[in-house]
Amino acid sequence: MSTFVTVDHLEKVFPLTGGGEYLALKGIDLEIKRGEFISLIGHSGCGKSTLLNMVAGLDLPTGGVVLLEDQPVRRPGPDRMVVFQNYSLLPWLTARENIAMAVAEVLSHLSHVERRGLVETHIDMVGLRPHADKRPAMLSGGQKQRVAIARALAIRPKLLLLDEPFGALDALTRGNLQEQLMQICEESQVTAVMVTHDVDEAVLLSDRIVMLTNGPGSKIGDILEVNIPRPRKRMEVVEHPSYYSLRSEVIYFLNQQKRVKQLRARKKPAVARHGLEKVNLEIGFVPLTSCAPVAVAQEQGLFAKHGLEEVSLVRETSWRGIVDGLAGGYLDAAQMPAGMPVWFTVGGHAGRPLPVVSALTMSRNGNGITLSRRLYDQGIHTLNDFRRLLLESDGPQHTLGMVHPASMHNLLLRYWLAAGGIRPDKDITLTTIPPAQMVANLKDAHIDGFCVGEPWNLRAAIEGIGFTVATDMEILPNHPGKVLGVREDWATAYPNTHIALVKALLDACRYCADPANHEAIRDLLARKEYVGTDRRYIHLGDPSQAVCDLDQPMREYAHHLFFGDGVNRPSRTEHLWMLTQMARWGDVPFPRNWIEILERVCRVSVFSTAARELGLMDIRYRTGSLKLFDGGEFNADDPMGYLNSLAIKHEVYIAEVPLDLPSRPAA
Amino acid sequence: MAVSMLPRNRQTSLPTGIVRLWQNLGPDIALPLLGLLGFLGAWQLLSWTKILALPGPIDVVMDERSRYLILHPFYYTSELDQGLARQTFASLTRVAKGYFLAAVVGIGMGILVGLSPNVNKALDPIFQFLRMVAPLAWVPIALAALRQNEPAAIFVIFITSVWPILINTAVGVREIPQDYRNVARVLQISRKSFFLKILIPSALPYIFTGLRIAIGLAWLAIIAAEIVMSGVAGIGFFIWDAYQQNYVSEIIVAVVYIGAVGLALDRLVAFIQTKIAPAS
Repeated sequence: MSTFVTVDHLEKVFPLTGGGEYLALKGIDLEIKRGEFISLIGHSGCGKSTLLNMVAGLDLPTGGVVLLEDQPVRRPGPDRMVVFQNYSLLPWLTARENIAMAVAEVLSHLSHVERRGLVETHIDMVGLRPHADKRPAMLSGGQKQRVAIARALAIRPKLLLLDEPFGALDALTRGNLQEQLMQICEESQVTAVMVTHDVDEAVLLSDRIVMLTNGPGSKIGDILEVNIPRPRKRMEVVEHPSYYSLRSEVIYFLNQQKRVKQLRARKKPAVARHGLEKVNLEIGFVPLTSCAPVAVAQEQGLFAKHGLEEVSLVRETSWRGIVDGLAGGYLDAAQMPAGMPVWFTVGGHAGRPLPVVSALTMSRNGNGITLSRRLYDQGIHTLNDFRRLLLESDGPQHTLGMVHPASMHNLLLRYWLAAGGIRPDKDITLTTIPPAQMVANLKDAHIDGFCVGEPWNLRAAIEGIGFTVATDMEILPNHPGKVLGVREDWATAYPNTHIALVKALLDACRYCADPANHEAIRDLLARKEYVGTDRRYIHLGDPSQAVCDLDQPMREYAHHLFFGDGVNRPSRTEHLWMLTQMARWGDVPFPRNWIEILERVCRVSVFSTAARELGLMDIRYRTGSLKLFDGGEFNADDPMGYLNSLAIKHEVYIAEVPLDLPSRPAA
Repeated sequence: MAVSMLPRNRQTSLPTGIVRLWQNLGPDIALPLLGLLGFLGAWQLLSWTKILALPGPIDVVMDERSRYLILHPFYYTSELDQGLARQTFASLTRVAKGYFLAAVVGIGMGILVGLSPNVNKALDPIFQFLRMVAPLAWVPIALAALRQNEPAAIFVIFITSVWPILINTAVGVREIPQDYRNVARVLQISRKSFFLKILIPSALPYIFTGLRIAIGLAWLAIIAAEIVMSGVAGIGFFIWDAYQQNYVSEIIVAVVYIGAVGLALDRLVAFIQTKIAPAS
C-alpha cells in the first residue's frame, strides 16, 4: 500500500507571551498508509493535539511539512475532517440539521435527494434515529459524539482526525462508541488518526500506536505495531496473547516519560567532595533478591562511608528502564544483568554501540527456570519431557518469559533449551516480561514458564503456580548474575568516584555474604522501596523448605553468592561466553574485534584498586574454562570455533564493531 | 396512624380550594399586592401630613382633571390636547423609529467591529467616549444640527440606544466559540454561510441582551427629549405642559403611564428573545 499521509520533519514553535518561544514538537516523521488507524499517545502537553491540528491544517507548522496524497497541507479542509473532543456541534441546530449542514456545504454538487440520503444513512449508522430531531442540549455526551462522528463521516473525508473523541464520556458509553467507531472504520475503510491518553483505547483501535515523548521538543519516542487481527471485538482483544505485552509496552513508555521528567528536574551538576569527582549519584536497580548489595550499601551507610554522600537509588521495574536510564544519561550507574555491558558495547541497544564498562560482579546464581503447574500436571517434569511435548505440537505454541535479551536468564534459558534439543524462537516463543510481572503472567497463562531471578521462582512454587524445573546450579554453576555497569565516558570522567562506588558495593557484598546478616537483609528487601514482597519469598542462603517443587523431594537449591573467591572480579571469559551466546541467538553480531571489546568492558584494574584499598588483598580469582551442565566447555581462546561447534543456533553474523576511541582523563 | 390523620383531613377538607389557591398564587400575587398597598398607604400618609407637597393617591383619583385623564385615555381635542394613550402612542412611534435605526446601525457596526480587530481598535475609543454622553446633552446638539423637533427627537433616541446594541453585538461576534470557527474552517464553508449559519445564531443571545438594555434607554431618552422640545405631541411634553400649569395630579397619572409602558417594552423584547434566541 502506498503512503497516504506523510509527516516530514515537522516542527512547531509557539511564541510565548512576554517574549521567548516554546518548542512544542521537533523532528516528527510519520508515514500513514491508506486505511490505517493511528493513535497518538503521550502525556498532557506533549503536543499530540498540536500534531493532529497540523495534520488537519488548523495550525501550521513552523518547520517541515504534512503531505496528503503528496499535496502539502496548508489550510483546513473537509477532506481532513476533525472530530473534536467537545463535539463542536452547533447548539441551535438539531442533530439532523448539524449533519445536513456539513453535507450541504461540502457536497453541494450532489442533488438534494442524494444529500438527504447521505444524512439519513449516517444517522442510522450511528444509531441516532430516535434522537435525530433533538438539539444538542437535549442529547447525552455519547449521543453528541455520535452526531459529531456521523457529521464527520457523512462528508466522506479522506482522513478522519479524532481529538480525544471519547475523553469526556463515561466508561460504558466509551466502550460502546469505541466498538462502533471501529466497526465503521473497518466497513468504510477510513484512514484515521486519533489522539488519546487511554492506553486500552489505543491498543483496541489502532494499527499502530505513535508514542510521543514529553516536551519541550517532543518527538516520536516509539511506534508500536498492534498485530491483533481485525475485525476486533472489545472482549476478544483482551484475550489476545499480545494484548498485555502491547499494553504494558505503552504504559512502560508513559511511565518512563514521567520518570525522565522527574529525573531531568532532579538532575544536578556533579558535586565534588573528599577528592571524589562526583558524590551525588543516581543508581538504578530492579527489585530482585539480588539487589541486596545495592540496598545494603544505601541502608548501612556504605556509600557514605566511602565518600559517596548523596546517593539516591532509582527503582526501575524492568531492565528496559535501566537501559533507557543509562543510555539517556539519567543514571550514573546501575545494577544490571551480567550480559548487559557487552550487549551495550556491541550495539545491542538501538543498534548503536555504547561502551559500558563493568568493574564488579555483584552477585552470582539466584536464578531458575520455572514451568507452569499445567505442564507439571501433564507429566512434564524434565527438560526431556518438555522437548517431547514441544516436538509433538505443531509450530511454536508455547511461550516462555525472560527479562531482557542481554540478561543471563535469556542466555541460560536458551542454552538449556538448546541443550535439550529445542530450538528457541522456532519450537518455542520467548517473550520479554519485567521480573515482577512473571508470576502474574504465568498465573494468567500468558506464558508457560520463565527464567528469572529470585524471589519469583520461589514465589511461583510457594503459590503452587509453577515448579522450578532447573536452577542455574544445573546449567552453569556460579554464573554471574548482576554486575555493576557504568558508561565508559562516565568512568573516564569520574575515575575516583568509580573506584569509591566499587568499594562501597564490594563492602556491601561482603556484608551480604555473612549468614549472620541474612535475617536483617530479608527484612530490608521485603520493604516497599526494594523488592516489596513477603519476606518468606526472599532467601539468601539455603532455603529451609522444599519450595522449588510442587511435590517432589527437595532439590539442592541454587543460592545467591555475593562475595568470595572468584565471585566479584569481572571475568573476561564469562563476558566473552555471554557475548558468544548473544551472537548465537542473532541478537547482536559477533564482533571481530572481540578482544578490544572485552578490554574495554572489563575494568579489572578498577576492581583491583578497590579491593586493595578495602584490604582484600587475599581475594583470589578463577581462570580457565567454563563448564556447562551438558558437558559443554568454553574457553576464551577461540570463541568463533566455539560458536561453530554449537549445533542449534541462529545464523551468526560476524562484524567489526567500531567504537569511538576512549577519551583519556586529563591527569 | 390512620386515627391521627383523620382530624387533620377534616380540618382542611372544607376550604381546600381556597387554601390550595392561596398556596399556589399567594406569594406571587398577594405579596406584590401587599407591597403596592403599603407604598400607596405611605404615600397617602406623607401627603396628609404635608411632609410631601404632593397630592396623595386618593387626591389623584378624586381630582377632576386627572380623573378625566384616567377615564378618557383616547379623547382628542387638538394636537396638543389629547388623551394620554394617544400621547404615549406618539412617543412610542418616535421611539420605534429611533430604536429601529439604532438596531440596524448597532448590529451592523457591531458585527463589523467584532469581526475586525483593526476596526475595533480604531473605533472603540470613540464609542466608549460617546456612550458616556447623557441623552439630554444630545438634545441641543441634535436641535442645532437638524433644526427640526421630530428628527432631533429620533436622533436622540438613536444615539442613546445604539451603544449597548453595538457593544453587545461586537462582544457576541468576538466570542463565537473557537469550536464553531474550527468547524467552519474544516468544512470550508462560504462567507455567506458562515455569516448566516454560524455568526448570527451564535451572536444572537448577545445581540438580544443589547436590544433589551437599549429599549429601556430609548424610552428613558424620549421623555427627556420631549420635555425639552416643546410643541410636539408626546407624553414627555405633556408632563412639561402640566408642570407649567401646576397640574401635579396629571403629572402623576402620566408617570404611571411611563412606568407601565417602559415595563411593557422590556418584557416584550424579553419575550421575543425567548422565542428567537432561547438560552441554551
